[in-house]
Amino acid sequence: MTVLVLDQVVKRFGDFTAVGGLSFSVPEGGIFGFLGGNGAGKTTSVRMMLDIIHPDSGRIEILGRAPSRTNAPQIGFLPEERGLYRLMTVADTVIYFGRLKGLSAADATSRTAALLERLGLAQWAKTTLDKLSKGMSQKVQLATALVNGPRLLILDEPFSGLDPVNQGVLEEIVLEMARGGATVIFSTHVMQHAERLSDRLLLLARGRKVFEGTQTEARALLPARLLLTAQADPSSLPGVSHAVAIGARQQGWQQWDITLAPGQEAGSLLQYCTGNGFALRGFDLHKPSLHDVFLHLVGGPLTGDKP
Amino acid sequence: MNRVLLVAGRDYRQIVATRAFKITLLIVPLMIAISAGATSFLRPPATVAYVMADASGRVAPVIEHRLELDYQGQVLRDLSTYARRWNAPEPGDGWAGDAAVERFIRDGGAATALARMKLPAGTPAFKPAVRPYLRVPVPGDVPTDRGPDAFGRALAPYLAGDIQTGEGKRALAVALYIPAQGPARVWTNGRASGALIGVVQDERTRLARLATLRANGVDAATAARIETMQAPLVVSAPPPGGGREQMTVRSVVPLGLVYLLLMSALITGGMMLQGVIEERSNRLLEAVLACIEPREMMLGKLIGLGAVGLTILAAWVGCALFAAFAIQGAMADYLRPSLAALNQPWMILAMIFYFFSGYLLLAMAYLTIGSLSNSMQDAQAYLMPVTMGVLLPVMLMVTSTLQNPNGWLPQVMSWIPVYTPFAMLARLGTGVSVPEILGTGLLLVAFVAAEMILLGRVFRASLLNTGQPPKLGAFLKLMLRRE
Repeated sequence: MTVLVLDQVVKRFGDFTAVGGLSFSVPEGGIFGFLGGNGAGKTTSVRMMLDIIHPDSGRIEILGRAPSRTNAPQIGFLPEERGLYRLMTVADTVIYFGRLKGLSAADATSRTAALLERLGLAQWAKTTLDKLSKGMSQKVQLATALVNGPRLLILDEPFSGLDPVNQGVLEEIVLEMARGGATVIFSTHVMQHAERLSDRLLLLARGRKVFEGTQTEARALLPARLLLTAQADPSSLPGVSHAVAIGARQQGWQQWDITLAPGQEAGSLLQYCTGNGFALRGFDLHKPSLHDVFLHLVGGPLTGDKP
Repeated sequence: MNRVLLVAGRDYRQIVATRAFKITLLIVPLMIAISAGATSFLRPPATVAYVMADASGRVAPVIEHRLELDYQGQVLRDLSTYARRWNAPEPGDGWAGDAAVERFIRDGGAATALARMKLPAGTPAFKPAVRPYLRVPVPGDVPTDRGPDAFGRALAPYLAGDIQTGEGKRALAVALYIPAQGPARVWTNGRASGALIGVVQDERTRLARLATLRANGVDAATAARIETMQAPLVVSAPPPGGGREQMTVRSVVPLGLVYLLLMSALITGGMMLQGVIEERSNRLLEAVLACIEPREMMLGKLIGLGAVGLTILAAWVGCALFAAFAIQGAMADYLRPSLAALNQPWMILAMIFYFFSGYLLLAMAYLTIGSLSNSMQDAQAYLMPVTMGVLLPVMLMVTSTLQNPNGWLPQVMSWIPVYTPFAMLARLGTGVSVPEILGTGLLLVAFVAAEMILLGRVFRASLLNTGQPPKLGAFLKLMLRRE
């Protein structure tokens, strides 16, 4: 089943086109990375999915319905810009959001208690948020997204502002949600998070889709790169697109920067070398990162051109 | 609706937990306490004592009689006011002169007059004014037969403190020495008004005139008649239940509501404004808007703030009622009869309607300002013209209403929807026609509905905006843009 469909969705703010004809779909289950630089249109797209703003044209379907607050009980949302009611206690805040999402008072209270325990916030339940550290406040905000046990969890730049420890905690929670059967959509401009978490991903640039697929498919868009240390010139080996010598030859051995032909597996080359007596002293495979893929596809740094 | 109430409940709880709210609740009790305190502080000084040595033997009884007439005249006038306030027959005309006062005293004074009024049970008791002057005997160590200078010297220490009277210790404020011949001498320490000195002067003058008349051959009876002669004066007072005083009394509660509406709307409006700005600046709106419609949020806030206003109103009105019925003071004196004057259900309904319409009208304006502003500094730019635009004309209108309830200003403002709740509330006590209530009411309902629709659009469109607040043109566009 598909939990999210965007079909030719357009959103303009005055003369600026934030999202231009975006189409993609997200199957149920797994983690979907929604990637793009700043101003690529990620937050605008997320807001349209949640009916916070409306598209100028195109169709959006979320959990089988048009976006509306009737979906709220099944959705957890962590916005990019985070904030909470400073004078509310931790528990009251989570309960409040649970109730806004349709939970009964009793359910919201019991789920809040369990969630705060899980997030290590139980001892702060009666503390007002103005007395918490930023990291703890962000955990509380995450709790507000999770309190209803969402079928679809939408996280907009969830790692921004978190220290490495809390980033790890959040990654674990995302993985746990996915293992529990929920679909997680998270937007980010930090490719390392996407690499660690996402099963499928979509690359967005200037409001338009530039890629949709798996990480493997994304990496396959760029030729793999090898560093070989060999005595002979590897240019003529099968699958090698070209080879460039690096530095001076030392005691008969030369390091080569090898570019494989698209679709060529590095393993096949290694197998050929060992099978045909091609002497090797080093075989160092460099797969393209998502960052490389992004730069390749977008042709610039991870920043948008939003005015 | 559930989500609307959730927002309302959250906003309500957050505001009532603030220190500002608790201070706000204390404003009226504090005013009542100050009023009660000021009443006792500003009350004419309690009875002061005086001593009088009358070497002539003729002047002292005349002065005492004059002081008694003046005091009883005051009691009679107060009784008349009291009777008018409680729709009882008046005991007499306090302004009709000494003859009427003499008759009042002869008939048994205040006690007899009150018995004749046959007031229903529960009517607040009449409290007669205190006697301003109480004569005490000249202290034994003060000589009265060695001339005024010796009298004055011996009395000086007594004037510095209190002296024992039949009613306990009182300040000795005045000492009089009336010689058989020559000028009277007065010593005072400034603790009494000059009325007693005036009485001495007047009575001695009157006695001198009498003596002159007698010396010129006028017989004693004629001379006395000439001296007590007063030009006839008839005072036409409005009948009980009417007149300006009664009208003022009836206006106390509606006018009080004007002030309560102004204060509670401005205070809670300010709180709402701060709340919305906090939500915007804290970036928590997006998470909330993923769960509820902006329209639900707006209604929730209006209801929550309405509940806050209602709490403030209930607390203030409760305090006022407590002041009216449980404690004494100037406020109680006005509130009791004015509450009693609200005996028509339509008047109460109209007051409730105008109060809440006015509240909603202002709350919506504040809510919109909050949605447009990124900070309180931003909000001030909108707040000042809105607050002043309401406050100044309303204060002007209230003053005008007190002078002339049917003046052009209150009448015109009754038909300007922004001012309708204030103007109509202010005029309700003085009698407003039913067609005027219906007409202004319908216009007000239409205006508030249009305000909710148009400003509601601005609110929804502005919630997530982070740039500069819109200028007038952009603001109008937001108002007119249909979703």
